[in-house]
Amino acid sequence: MSPRWLGERVPRLEDTKLLTGRALFTDDVDLPGMLHAAFLRSDEAHGVLRGVDVAAARARPGVVAVWTAADLGDYWKPGPLLVPPPPIAGIVFNAATQVPLAREKVRHVGEPLALVVAESRYLAEDALDDIVVDIEPLPAVMDLEAALAPGAAVVHDELGGNLAARARQTKGDWAAARARAHAVIARRFRYDRGAAAAIENRGVVAAWDARSEELTVWDTTQAPIPIRNGLAGMLGLGQSQVRVVAPFIGGGFGPKIMMFYPEEVLIPWAAMRLGRPVKWIEDRRENFYATTQERLQIHDAELAVAKDGTILGVRDRFLSDTGAYDPYGLTIPINSQCTLLGPYAVPNYDSEFTVVFTNRPIVTPVRGAGRQHGVFVMERLLDLAARELGMDRVEIRRRNFLPPDAFPHDHQILFQDFRPLVYDSGRYAEAMDQAVAAIDYERFVRVEQPKLRAAGRRVGLGIVSYIEGTGIGPYEGARVTIEPSGTVRVATGVGTQGQGHFTTFAQLVSDVLGMDPSKVQVITGDTREFGWGTGTFASRGAVVAGNAVHEAAIRVRKKVLALAGAVLDAKEDALVLECGSVHVKGAPERAIRLGDLAVKANPLRGGVTPGTEPGLEATAYFGPDRGNAANGVHALIVEVDAETCEVRILRYVVVHDCGTVINPTVVEGQVQGGVAMGIGNAFYEQLVWGENGQLMNASFMDYLLPTALDVPAVEMRHTVTPSPLNPLGAKGVGEAGAIPAAAAFAQAVEDALQGGIEVLEMPLSPNRLFELMQDGAA
Amino acid sequence: MKPAAFEYLRPGSVDEALELLERHGADAKPLAGGQSLVPAMNFRLAQPAVLVDLNGVADLAGIAAADGGLRIGAMTRQRAVERSAFAAERAPLLAETLPFIAHPQIRNRGTVGGSLAHADPAAELPAVMVAAQARLLLRRRGGERRVEAERFFTGLFATALEPGELLTAVELPAMAPRTGWAFAEVSRRHGDYALVGVACLVTLDGRGRCASARVALLSVGEGPVLAPSVAAALAGAAPTPEAVRAAAEEVDADVDPPSDIHASAAYRRRLARVLTRRALTRAFDRAASR
Amino acid sequence: MIVEGDYTFAGTREAVWEALLDPEVIAHTMPGTQEMVRVAPDRYEGRMRVGVGAITAAEFQLAVQLVDVVPPERYTMEIDGRGRFGFTRGTATVNLSPDGAGTVMRFRADMQVGGKIAAVGQRLLDSVSKMMTKQGLEALAAEVKRRLAG
Repeated sequence: MSPRWLGERVPRLEDTKLLTGRALFTDDVDLPGMLHAAFLRSDEAHGVLRGVDVAAARARPGVVAVWTAADLGDYWKPGPLLVPPPPIAGIVFNAATQVPLAREKVRHVGEPLALVVAESRYLAEDALDDIVVDIEPLPAVMDLEAALAPGAAVVHDELGGNLAARARQTKGDWAAARARAHAVIARRFRYDRGAAAAIENRGVVAAWDARSEELTVWDTTQAPIPIRNGLAGMLGLGQSQVRVVAPFIGGGFGPKIMMFYPEEVLIPWAAMRLGRPVKWIEDRRENFYATTQERLQIHDAELAVAKDGTILGVRDRFLSDTGAYDPYGLTIPINSQCTLLGPYAVPNYDSEFTVVFTNRPIVTPVRGAGRQHGVFVMERLLDLAARELGMDRVEIRRRNFLPPDAFPHDHQILFQDFRPLVYDSGRYAEAMDQAVAAIDYERFVRVEQPKLRAAGRRVGLGIVSYIEGTGIGPYEGARVTIEPSGTVRVATGVGTQGQGHFTTFAQLVSDVLGMDPSKVQVITGDTREFGWGTGTFASRGAVVAGNAVHEAAIRVRKKVLALAGAVLDAKEDALVLECGSVHVKGAPERAIRLGDLAVKANPLRGGVTPGTEPGLEATAYFGPDRGNAANGVHALIVEVDAETCEVRILRYVVVHDCGTVINPTVVEGQVQGGVAMGIGNAFYEQLVWGENGQLMNASFMDYLLPTALDVPAVEMRHTVTPSPLNPLGAKGVGEAGAIPAAAAFAQAVEDALQGGIEVLEMPLSPNRLFELMQDGAA
Repeated sequence: MKPAAFEYLRPGSVDEALELLERHGADAKPLAGGQSLVPAMNFRLAQPAVLVDLNGVADLAGIAAADGGLRIGAMTRQRAVERSAFAAERAPLLAETLPFIAHPQIRNRGTVGGSLAHADPAAELPAVMVAAQARLLLRRRGGERRVEAERFFTGLFATALEPGELLTAVELPAMAPRTGWAFAEVSRRHGDYALVGVACLVTLDGRGRCASARVALLSVGEGPVLAPSVAAALAGAAPTPEAVRAAAEEVDADVDPPSDIHASAAYRRRLARVLTRRALTRAFDRAASR
Repeated sequence: MIVEGDYTFAGTREAVWEALLDPEVIAHTMPGTQEMVRVAPDRYEGRMRVGVGAITAAEFQLAVQLVDVVPPERYTMEIDGRGRFGFTRGTATVNLSPDGAGTVMRFRADMQVGGKIAAVGQRLLDSVSKMMTKQGLEALAAEVKRRLAG
């Protein structure tokens, strides 16, 4: 069973379908008699909802139904709390989950007020214009600090204030560390909000078959199984009566998790009520309000260092925006809290976060999920400390890396999976060495940069380290089946949004069963095919579902060997699986094709030995004890035009360690895409809000998503430190690229401007850079 | 994001189009490349009752010689001008500018006339036409007139076009000898609306002094903005780096830039000065070598 | 969004004051105003249509409440406009002071814009408000001049 396919650059098996337009996306689902839905959304960020008059809309020809909150009856109830608060001593958590249609109050721009179902989307949108809404505006809660001040307007009246949560995690003795520090660096950092901006917006198609009493829902979700289970409960159906299909999805990035969005909950309900299929496809403007977002945090952080640059401790107090509701609990701030520690030995840590309700759309994890904030704060503090101590920025990092023999390393705080934050493995200094070599750090700093500066060019380098906690539980499963045709089918519950699952999972199976990956058919995200699991998030697909797939394949292999041994009259250890057949070692003529063996595994006449399981099929589950720690280093070189304040990225190097690499092309694609998102967060993407809670850039005209023209090709290197926490030794990579880009970018811009400014906020637009440089000059 | 209902008409000739525009008056909107109008319709910000599609009209597209200069039909795709060697030879400023307009996909559909008639203050073509002293041909039933570009653009998305009138072509005059050109802009991403852009044409006299400098900017006012102060500062001067720098500073008096989420008025003023200096420098270099 | 400035009218403070609060004058001079009715001494209601270029003129239901009225010196308008493309609301303060034979009007409006026009039209908000302010002031000056002449 020597690995032939593991680690190979197998071209993505799903791409033929995707590139030739034959992949099924939710909007491709077109059913006879299908109706189309549109939602009326609030123009106000905060207000008392006095009335929604839908009479004219109901009277419009072609309109089939119009519902407001008042029309939903018992079906109106707040959505589920998806992630409960973690067991941290002294934690405060106030739950307020999203509602299907607003009633009494509106709490963010874009909150749905009414659902229109009509014969076409055009008619449904015509009807939206017929609806008259009466909202008495209230002051919008926007500023995180002002929101907590006495007398502030309150988003959820029943809570009496805007505090969503507060939790403190500590380790060691910060005060003592600070007291003996040679220097203490203290700054305020701000990281602003952006959109996940997947290329495909959300969509739901639901069809109720009254004869079979089955509900089928096509949904752009990252977590079809939890959605099935939740919908069944809400609609009073058995779980087996509901089939949720997450077909091909054009990007997830977090917000397509099991959110139980209003549309996700109402479209199936409407389809059942009307007895006709109903489709809703989110448009881009809706996506800017109705799909969850992330990233506004404000940190007041301090780093205590010894004279030689050794980290003595960190203290952090931060505010985290959860928007109008907090259904996803505290995953984001806990990730920020944990990820700040990075690959470093931090003996003393005192971190407290305060989560705040505001009149902005709901916050849930978006690729990185709070991790980038931690990395930004820590890496910026280290840069400032290095400057203060007169040290090289690479040197201060090297001095503090956890050594390879420090594992498992217990940080003595809880991670987002409610398990202790224990790093499993990593070779951090080695990753840094590779990055330093790849970007030619010494030569750049000593030769190139001085030469270019002398010629009037402002070039700068940024180089930062990070950790990404990945591959958390609870579990995923997979079923592997050898079909009589000889094809192998793999079914798993995770949904797929472009990650390359069809290829990496196939590779895991092909080695075990001795066949070409192209002969392995992978099915993801259809609850009828596989009904147990949680979903695709937290960089866990390859780690958790991957190990389940691998284990299921091993079990099928055992069945193959047992049956083939009997059929070929040979000992199991004398059998070879190769090219879709089993043969006896040294006697290739004594062989049977796997398909034929599958036929024999399903006897149609006569008796079998009691206990026989039919078919060459096995199901396996994998659940890790806790998440593992992937790591990496990003290094880039930028040039700043000091007159126009434009910033150009000249080179971008990533060294990444995701343990065992199943398919380097897939891994590099993930990193490249992550870097694009990171560059977006650092330089282009920012949701801009008016003081009254209006989103001022709800289109791609004004929300600047970087394009292929704006993102450099990443030069990629790998270090490989397999995780001891799973048989494959894999670590996650889905979010890695997005996490440290802002920190690296900030350092590089500062370096280019030779310390004229401090970059303590993200994103940094040219306009903002202009202001900072004016301030610096003043 | 679906448009409101509208009546769609597709005339086959200019005369037919003019008749439809006259008949439907203010209810009608001509459809050229649709790169601004159609998104506005999908947002339901534009809800014309009647759409008169010009894409089936013969004789509105094409690039031809005219008085030593160039005549471009209103329905000529921007990409067609970009690819025309003849246009590049006769109107190098236009050729240099075209790649800055949005993306190739948009230029494949977007037309020269559509952009001019739309008169977006952030559009490149209006500024180029003002710098180049182009004339716009406007036709109505039973009549035609020519309007100087400078007078065609009358305000924010406002032009001299009257109801029932159609922009049919634009004429760029021949460039004088020893004329140099340059276009420069700063946009957030490739293809975005420019934060500021500058188009300029400069002509040197026999002694190498500035005989004429036409500098037109975009995104700094209600429409394309001509910079007479810069021209005045350069008139008769030798275009030394110091003189160009000083003249470029004068642009501040000619612009009244707006603030938006991408750029404050102050930042736009900075960009206007820097880009004017850079564009003039390149234009004078070119003029000297011709 | 803050819109502020000053403007000198060739007329007495009383004449300017009278013109400013005359619903007829408001209807004539405020760009896009279709109708303006003084429903109470301190309250106006009406409709306006604002369109720019290809953007179809959007109709707004407009209500203006006067507060802090000190003739002929100053007043504040609480403005509330709602339409299908969104809303605009805020306060505008007007101060009049004599300046030789003329009158200087200082104004400062703090306006909020919401809905579709804010979401996809931010690029033009500043320019549109500048344009409307300019048009309004010019029309007002012409009206004041006409009245004084007549």
